[in-house]
Amino acid sequence: MMVGVLIITHGNLGYELIQAAELIKGRLDGVLAISVDPTKGTEELKKEITSGIKKVEKGKGVLILTDLFGGTPSNISLSFLKENKVEVVTGVNLSMLLKLSDIREEKNLIEVAYFTKDYGKKNISLASEILNKEVVNK
Amino acid sequence: MDISLVRIDCRLIHGQILEAWIPHIKASCVAVVDDDMASDFFWKSAIRMAVPDDVEVLVNSVEEFSENYSYSEKEGKKTIVLFCDVYNAFKAYRSGFEFEELNIGNMQSEENRRYCTPAVYLCEEDIKNLQFLVDSGVKVELRCVPRDKPLDFRDMMKKIMLP
Repeated sequence: MMVGVLIITHGNLGYELIQAAELIKGRLDGVLAISVDPTKGTEELKKEITSGIKKVEKGKGVLILTDLFGGTPSNISLSFLKENKVEVVTGVNLSMLLKLSDIREEKNLIEVAYFTKDYGKKNISLASEILNKEVVNK
Repeated sequence: MDISLVRIDCRLIHGQILEAWIPHIKASCVAVVDDDMASDFFWKSAIRMAVPDDVEVLVNSVEEFSENYSYSEKEGKKTIVLFCDVYNAFKAYRSGFEFEELNIGNMQSEENRRYCTPAVYLCEEDIKNLQFLVDSGVKVELRCVPRDKPLDFRDMMKKIMLP
């Protein structure tokens, strides 16, 4: 059993993130992307999300990853929040998605959600800052 | 408050507002004028969290907003006012919030609404109410984000009237 993952973003960002992650990790099971574009109405999106949740739900709940807090994908996702069933983490990035496949089996939904949030933040760096530190330390 | 933008957007606060309009205008206040949002604690909190910390957020019912704010003054915080549909903007205008310009961003497709632009669908009543605003001297434009070319409501009407 593993936590299901649904990536809901502006345009095709979610699909592309999955593609990129699969290049590195290989096939990702139980991960689906939904794109939000101006042609889709709110009701249509809600239906798509409901059916997406059903598809990736494997008994441990579903983590929804969205691109931007306050954006439409995130706003609509918030209406699906449900304790032990659905959590939403915003600001999706590739390192989050890659790490998720390592932890989705062993941890429960809320643990996965917290871990993903912290991990995503931790993996944003300013390269020269790190490199300068390395130089100084040497 | 200095009203910099009055906008109709069925999505209220979303990416285009946060990433395009607020920085473009350098707005320091966003007023969401909507009866449903004003009475929903969860959504009020979500809106506050979404908007950058240095931007003040007001979430008011149409009545509260029309009665309580000094929106006629051209001084104070640069403010974006958001309505979710034409009717609410029209109602606020009739209650005294007499804006000079109105931007229409997104109005999603629904039964009995007709196509105007890819982002905007309007029903007959919307068109009637907008026409009222135009006749009262309000400049009404259709535009999603600041970098798009604005389409004047009257030019849009000419286009959709064509067979």
